[in-house]
Amino acid sequence: MLAHRRLVLTAAALLALPFAPAGAQTAPAKGEPIYLGVSGPLTGPNAQYGAQWKQGFDLALDEINGAGGIKGRPLAYIFEDTQSDPRQSVAVAQKFVADKRIVAELGDFASPASMAASPIYQRAKLVQFGFTNSHPDFTKGGDYMWSNSVSQADEQPLSAAFAVKRLGMKRIAVLHLNTDWGRTSKDIFVKAAKEYGAEVVATEGYLPDEKDFRSTIVRVRDAKPDGIMLISYYSDAALIARQLQQAGLKLPTVAASSVYSPKLIELGGDAVEGLFTASRYFPDDPRPQVRNFVDKFKAKYGKEPDAFNAYAYDTMILMAQVMRESGIDRQAIHDGLAKVKDVPSVIFGKATFDPKTRRVSGAVSVDLVVKGGKFTIYQGGAVVH
Amino acid sequence: MSANTSFLEVRGLTRRFGGLTAVNNVDLDLAEGEFLSIIGPNGAGKTTLFNLMTGHDDPDGGTVTFMGRDITRLSPERLAALGIARTFQHGRVFANLSVMDNVLVGAHVRFKAVRPAWPFPLNLLGPVAEVALALIRPPSVVAEEQRMREEALKILSRFGDRLLPRLDNPTYSLSYANRRRVEIGRALALGPKLLLLDEPTAGMNQTETAEMQALIGDLKKSGLTILLIEHKLDMVMQLSDRVVVMDNGTVIANGKPAEVRNDPAVIEAYLGHRRADRPEASVPEAAQ
Amino acid sequence: MSSWIDYTINGIIIGNIYALLAVGLALIFGVSRLINFAHGSVYVVGAYAGFVAVTQLGTPLPLTIVIVVAVGALLGLGIERFGLRPLQGYAHIAPLLATIGLSFVLDQLVQLTFSPDPRALPSELLERRFQVGSGTIGALDILIAAVGIGSAALLYYFLRFTRLGWAIRATAQDRDAAQQMGVDVNAVNRAVFAIASALGAVSGLLVGMYYNYIDPAMSFQATLKGVVAQVVGGVGNVPGAIAGSMLLGIVESYGIALFGTSYRNLFAFILLVLVLVLRPNGLFASRRQTPPEPMTGTFIAPSKPIQISYPVLIGIAVVMALLPLVLPNPYVLQTLTNAWLYGLLGLSLTLIAGTVGLISLGHAALLAIGGYASALLSLDLGMPVGASILLAGVIAAAIGTILVFPSFRLRGHYFSIATLAIGEIVSLVILNWESVTRGPIGVAGIPPLSIFGFELDTDRSIYWFALAVLVILAALQFRLLGSHLGRTLRAMRDDDIAARSYGIGLDRYKALAFSVGSFAAGVSGGITSHLYSYINHETFNSQLSILALTIVILGGMGNVTGAILGSVLLVGLPEVFRVAAEYRVLIYGLVLLLLVRFRPQGLLGTI
Ligand SMILES: Nc1ncnc2c1ncn2[C@@H]1O[C@H](COP(=O)(O)OP(=O)(O)OP(=O)(O)O)[C@@H](O)[C@H]1O
Ligand SMILES: [Mg+2]
Repeated sequence: MLAHRRLVLTAAALLALPFAPAGAQTAPAKGEPIYLGVSGPLTGPNAQYGAQWKQGFDLALDEINGAGGIKGRPLAYIFEDTQSDPRQSVAVAQKFVADKRIVAELGDFASPASMAASPIYQRAKLVQFGFTNSHPDFTKGGDYMWSNSVSQADEQPLSAAFAVKRLGMKRIAVLHLNTDWGRTSKDIFVKAAKEYGAEVVATEGYLPDEKDFRSTIVRVRDAKPDGIMLISYYSDAALIARQLQQAGLKLPTVAASSVYSPKLIELGGDAVEGLFTASRYFPDDPRPQVRNFVDKFKAKYGKEPDAFNAYAYDTMILMAQVMRESGIDRQAIHDGLAKVKDVPSVIFGKATFDPKTRRVSGAVSVDLVVKGGKFTIYQGGAVVH
Repeated sequence: MSANTSFLEVRGLTRRFGGLTAVNNVDLDLAEGEFLSIIGPNGAGKTTLFNLMTGHDDPDGGTVTFMGRDITRLSPERLAALGIARTFQHGRVFANLSVMDNVLVGAHVRFKAVRPAWPFPLNLLGPVAEVALALIRPPSVVAEEQRMREEALKILSRFGDRLLPRLDNPTYSLSYANRRRVEIGRALALGPKLLLLDEPTAGMNQTETAEMQALIGDLKKSGLTILLIEHKLDMVMQLSDRVVVMDNGTVIANGKPAEVRNDPAVIEAYLGHRRADRPEASVPEAAQ
Repeated sequence: MSSWIDYTINGIIIGNIYALLAVGLALIFGVSRLINFAHGSVYVVGAYAGFVAVTQLGTPLPLTIVIVVAVGALLGLGIERFGLRPLQGYAHIAPLLATIGLSFVLDQLVQLTFSPDPRALPSELLERRFQVGSGTIGALDILIAAVGIGSAALLYYFLRFTRLGWAIRATAQDRDAAQQMGVDVNAVNRAVFAIASALGAVSGLLVGMYYNYIDPAMSFQATLKGVVAQVVGGVGNVPGAIAGSMLLGIVESYGIALFGTSYRNLFAFILLVLVLVLRPNGLFASRRQTPPEPMTGTFIAPSKPIQISYPVLIGIAVVMALLPLVLPNPYVLQTLTNAWLYGLLGLSLTLIAGTVGLISLGHAALLAIGGYASALLSLDLGMPVGASILLAGVIAAAIGTILVFPSFRLRGHYFSIATLAIGEIVSLVILNWESVTRGPIGVAGIPPLSIFGFELDTDRSIYWFALAVLVILAALQFRLLGSHLGRTLRAMRDDDIAARSYGIGLDRYKALAFSVGSFAAGVSGGITSHLYSYINHETFNSQLSILALTIVILGGMGNVTGAILGSVLLVGLPEVFRVAAEYRVLIYGLVLLLLVRFRPQGLLGTI
């Protein structure tokens, strides 16, 4: 299994060579490929996310190119590793800007890397599509900065509603990643939770590489909450859940949709049993685009997709749609993003941009609970009385 | 003794290392222009005494007075500014600096560019001024550097042809004896009022020792006040105005070379001790 | 009240984990006087070896431990043989860089083999838990403590009562003397690396099981915490390392209790700096004594620097200035612009670490101070960008020097560790001081570069600006080094005791050099912030400090031209290796290792 995995990676690495179009397998689409530039981490501490992007992109490209590509030409991407480091993302930006084949750029992963490159893309009038950049200032970098990342202003009130209105929490302790994303999310969550009538009794920000949460949990316990909110990624959420269990603190816990990954259950084991979360889609979702995505993903990679796979997949489908409708050059894509309407999307159901904020609103939300080692739709009502 | 004209005055100086008292209640007087040698077996406490007098180590008790001023516990850099220069027993040259630069560092305290004479609040800007002068290098600074270089050349020429052909070589490339010479040149560049030499001829052969002895003799003649630690007794006897003998941290004899040489206590404690412990007179390791 | 018992227990539990790392680091430092930056990588390899054993071979725990010990010991032998032994006799700094290179290579190999995804590392037997206070302690906690204390006891016995142990202690005290007395110092080194790495690997396994979580990126944090713990306990002191780890764990836990989770590391690093400054030999060491005078005189590794004459340098600068006209490729220009900006950082560190000998491991903090200063001055106070960059340099010089000043009395590696801690403190203060720095949200919308009101909005103009600043500051540094000050600073590095004897006040000249150097770093950070338009506490992370040091060692310590060349290479090589995609960091690490191996004094030589 390990050897197999390495093979996949090697193949992927070869495909990412600058001049080798990725996903240009046995595609009926012919002719000179159309290139998107991808700037993201393939090495370094965030490398796992770049690897997930690739899976999402490749799946979407199989679909797009299998169906004739864009006006008969295959779509492909050039993935440049930046380690999500601003020094490298600015160099990559220049590389993409100078490469006339590239019609739009996707990424980078973390805000410092993405936003450092924004001035370069803006100056060159090349669309920078930051599909994981929820930083509120990202699209303010200029009119070439677009994002279909779920805005925290959209998502967190939904989490708050789930926790307060549906589960009945009144005294909430919030644990959040102390990053730009975690911090923005926490602020919006706290505000919404208060509006819904709950009290936030503790907020604890932790660093991304933290592994020990025991003392944080004592602090949380002493604040006497009746429920816990985790604004985390799956890896830290799993660690926190295990340590909550070990500390014997049995409280209903809601986690942000970013924990939605099979890895959460692998890492968290029975400690994440009963954890509530939300997702943009879920495996048994009857929506056709979700069925299509999940089934094909499982067939191709032999595992359940997670949130980052879905973001990447959605983005590639969206870009293809924009190009089909508006044309295959840099300016056309910029203009097309404002015009495109109701693109089928795993995350949004249907995605349409607000030309002012250059973001998409109205993400689909399904309330989930981990039950029997699986994410299932939550059918119940309040758990805190 | 010459207590009334005391140039350097050491009273009750003591230093303990754990259970060992390396320097024990030592008194010492030195008149201006005098040449005093300190001898004693390995581990007697000679180097420790030097360290205490030059601020490299803090005494557990006692005082050191230099030209009427209490200098106990002053830092080495302050003492350098007062005109005290020393060499080190095992040699401490600046290995990656050239011979010339080593000597020029010796003159550090004499450079005006280092400490522009500014009045109070401005003197806090000393380091800033020093950087500025180093970068701008007004004519006065250039001239000063030139003057010091000429002086350094003069000092180095005292060693004949030993160092002059190697002015720009880094000192790590020099022979052991030449490194010792550089150290003495560096000490002279300070323009010292008091010079402390810790075994300047250690590890030198007979010719080299004779050369060094001649040089030190010249320094003495020029009126410089010198404290010398040395194991080579012939040299000590020929150069010294007075000799102090130490053993186990205490002064056991103090007097003219001839007196000391014939002092039975010295022969007993110093030479007997040595003969009993180690037959070799110039083994550098400490014998406890 | 009962909560304090819980906090204390939690502190001890996490301290327990740090102890496993600290003991190995202490052993290596004790004998080889080396901070082994590859130790965290050994820990990662141990964790993954255990992962393969448990999930693929289904080995029971005792057998897993045996396998991991064997893998760790072999790896330790390999590190010693290929990374360090060939570098004996060179400056201390070369093996340090070798361990950094090794850690790159090992982490990347693990990542390429097992993918960067985190993995679960289950521990079947050890789910039993006991109620203590109001929390629980698991069997694994007890096993970790047992391994920690047991291995320390075993080590103690080994060091005291075996022949090899005796040799190790002798070597630790005085390498040369031990060698003269017939101790096979290489055998000692091998033994120490094997033992320490076996321990490091086992800690990876146990900690992985403890959290049911392993990933290839956990090595740096492990090294960092292990180093902190062992320094608090007294560098190279094995029982002290355990006590230091416990103390570190407890301080972190109380820090969380008093101020909240985001202050955790702040307390750890403040503790470290306090211990270093107040008790430089560690909390549990005996009284500090003056170091005995070296028998052989003082030497830093001699080397003949490659001389490049001024006309040639000016020629190169002119060529570089003309480059945008000949080769208007924005990607190349951007990469070189980055190289010029990191060249400024290199100038700064090559002065401080090379010329003065203060090996700073926290240099990124100066970039951060400069970056935030210029960003906030221009954004919040409306200062023109050119002036704000200049002022940012001054602010970085002032704050940097004040922060580091108490550490100037530390020698060698102690100073390095203090700066490592100060760097982390600066970054954590930036994270937590929200009213000024905007915390984790960062500073967005930083105005673009401009001078005298002219906006630099083309790739060329930015390139020229960065190059011009670099050339000016490099020229000033050349001039400084050619003056009496250069001589003074290098004298202080070669032999601080002799330097003091000739009136060179160490604090004064260290502060002076540190300020001058920090200015260049602050300017670099300032320019960078305007170039990026957005910065947060992660923009200038501690990896950059390591990069800065690598640049300086690669170019040749104290060598101005070398620092710029090192920067061009280290910024440029990862770009050149892009064709290798995921493998490029691996290749980069290997190239680094080869360079250290065959040119330990740096490409252009130490000055
Ligand atoms: N830093 C130190 N720590 C502990 N003991 C020391 C220290 N420095 C010196 N000693 C001890 O103090 C005693 C005196 O040493 P010192 O070096 O002053 O002797 P010395 O007279 O200069 O001998 P030699 O002729 O060998 O140079 C010795 O026993 C030495 O071991
Ligand atoms: Mg001596």
